[in-house]
Amino acid sequence: MRALGIINFENSNVNIGGLDDYRPAPAIAFLGRYRIIDFILSNYTNSGIDNVQVYCKEKPRNLIEHLGSGSHYNINSKRGKLRILYGEKSFSSPVYNHDVANYMLNMQYIEEDTNPYVIIAPSYFIYSLDFSTVLQTHIESHADITALYTSTNDAKVQFLGCDTLEMDKDKKVTGFGTNRGKKKANTISMEAYVMTKKLFIDLVKKAAETSSLYWLKDIIVDSVEELDIRGYQVRGYVACVNSASEYFRINMELRDRNVAKGLFKPGWPVYTQTNDSAPTTYATGSCVKGSVVANGCSIEGEVTDSVISRNVTVRKGAIVKDSIILPGAYIGENVKLDHVIVDKYAIIHHVKALTGTDEEPVYVKRRDRI
Amino acid sequence: MRANNMAAMILAGGRGSRLHDLTKKVAKPAVHFGGKYRIIDFPLSNCANSGISNVGVLTQYESVLLNAYVAKDQFWGLDTNDGGVYVLTPRERDQKGLDVYRGTADAITQNIDFLDEINPEYVLILSGDHIYKMNYEKMLAYHQMKNADATIAVLQVPLKEASRFGIMNCDENDMIYEFEEKPAQPKSNLASMGIYIFSYKTLRKYLVADDKNPNSNHDFGKDIIPAYLNDGRTLAAYRFKGYWKDVGTVDSLWESNMDLLKPGNELDLGDTSWKIYTEDVNALPQYIGEEAVVENAYITQGAVIMGEVRNSVIGTGCEVGRGAKVIDSVIQPGAKIGEGAKVTRCIVADNVEVAPGAVYGSADSESIELVAKKYAE
Repeated sequence: MRALGIINFENSNVNIGGLDDYRPAPAIAFLGRYRIIDFILSNYTNSGIDNVQVYCKEKPRNLIEHLGSGSHYNINSKRGKLRILYGEKSFSSPVYNHDVANYMLNMQYIEEDTNPYVIIAPSYFIYSLDFSTVLQTHIESHADITALYTSTNDAKVQFLGCDTLEMDKDKKVTGFGTNRGKKKANTISMEAYVMTKKLFIDLVKKAAETSSLYWLKDIIVDSVEELDIRGYQVRGYVACVNSASEYFRINMELRDRNVAKGLFKPGWPVYTQTNDSAPTTYATGSCVKGSVVANGCSIEGEVTDSVISRNVTVRKGAIVKDSIILPGAYIGENVKLDHVIVDKYAIIHHVKALTGTDEEPVYVKRRDRI
Repeated sequence: MRANNMAAMILAGGRGSRLHDLTKKVAKPAVHFGGKYRIIDFPLSNCANSGISNVGVLTQYESVLLNAYVAKDQFWGLDTNDGGVYVLTPRERDQKGLDVYRGTADAITQNIDFLDEINPEYVLILSGDHIYKMNYEKMLAYHQMKNADATIAVLQVPLKEASRFGIMNCDENDMIYEFEEKPAQPKSNLASMGIYIFSYKTLRKYLVADDKNPNSNHDFGKDIIPAYLNDGRTLAAYRFKGYWKDVGTVDSLWESNMDLLKPGNELDLGDTSWKIYTEDVNALPQYIGEEAVVENAYITQGAVIMGEVRNSVIGTGCEVGRGAKVIDSVIQPGAKIGEGAKVTRCIVADNVEVAPGAVYGSADSESIELVAKKYAE
């Protein structure tokens, strides 16, 4: 495929309460064995994109470890390349650390790439999409930019704070807005674009000249009249992990195999870094229902309607209900959790009960001992 | 990491005919174990964890799947610059035509050119059909300490079972003076595990001589070890402690799987200091349904459990339908147990579909039933 794949980083609208204190959003654990970035990166490689640049806002260690050379995402080790790029310059303030600044700093690597097109998408939109079809449509439409969108009837709950697209009947984008949750139906921009590399470089440079606080999407909004921007509707499952409550809701809804079928499609594997964990042990006396469980766990207690990541221990008498337990966490004897997100390697032992809600799940910090 | 100077040769050519239909299309080393592993993952992971970088795998019977599998040396981290996993099948040769491996020793003899190319100081001979974890580097240190020409790993077995094994009779320093294959009156309970370390230069001489001997079976146990003993070579016995199982029959394969269900079991596949590696599978995590009952079970990725699972091992991507019962059984990867079906004391082979409502096995059966028909009604 003749496109460079860029994975853009999250803007300040993305705030996954606590989880993103320790790692950038793309590296957050998801549905037991994945990380958020696995979905867009697998989309890229499954679509035949072999050159990928991942931009990282901060704390790159986690992401570098997870992505490695990219070989486990099926990036060809000779013909392809996965680059993890981040601002090597120290930014005087976080507001200056935006995508355009990082593209400018790494412009050499964008210009060097020989692909005539670029596809830009962030990691926190989760969907399954063949980008080779999108590129084909883009080329045939002669549009300057193809912008992906999804139509939702649940905009009061989902995609809050996301950009919206206004389009005419030919799907030409006429304006952008913001989903403030006022109405149910809306067309949500997935912040993913296809354009020629030349236009992309021009826009980045123009954004940098216009304002040192401009993001790529700001200059696209400014250009809505001069450029032919066309909407491309993504059908099927689309979710946006931009808040703790959405993180919680999306993990929970994907437990349902019928919902999961919209995201995990035959012939379209979702790759991730694996850990060679042994299968999970369910002890005599354990009781597990309605839950997704990764490998390497030891379950002695009760687990209901939850997501249990790899190498988690749930001891005797513990009750885990409507909760998300991240890798390596330890839930001690007789501990009761209801609507709780337990971050990696946390040990819950002394506190015997924690209760949150759908909107505000309780968050237990990484490596915390309570 | 730079590796030690020992090459491993894994004998993986056998069918394992007592596994019946489980080895109809694959060799025994490729048979699945513990839900997600294949038997050969054990010696391969042991090699990787023991700092061995050159591993030859000698295949013969139904080798297509096995050859393709072991060639992916990255599964076990054996894709290093100075090594790899090499598939060694019988080949057609100048003047000799196409020959099969006539015995365990012959399989090595036919690949002397391969070993000469690596030129290792030591050769480790392994079998591809045993379930165990072992640090071969420690065994090598023992071999060096004993200044032996060959070292054979031995397992202490109950004396009344010793007549089923190749028995090593040793002096007080664990030096072997006699080898007896399946003796009626065993003098010792040290059974050979089929794991040998040889100093390569000496072994090479014996292999060349054995190749020319028309009366030889070309077998390590029957020919090479006795020849070493006859010549007064030093042979050390290396005592192994820990879990070891030859999963050669349907019953023993089932038993070994059931051992995984025992709390604190000796094999301890969850031990992160000695992981057993296998193929990466792109499957969702396992899902346990709203109405499922799961107790005392060992379940792996991709499995979907809607029914009841007790005292069982469930493999990659298996499905247990609503109302189905899986009791005291091993479900091999990809198998599906239809709604309301009941499977008791069975091994359900890979990708088999058990029809809804079908009943297989019973709680009081003497031996384990193997369900291997593609669609089992």
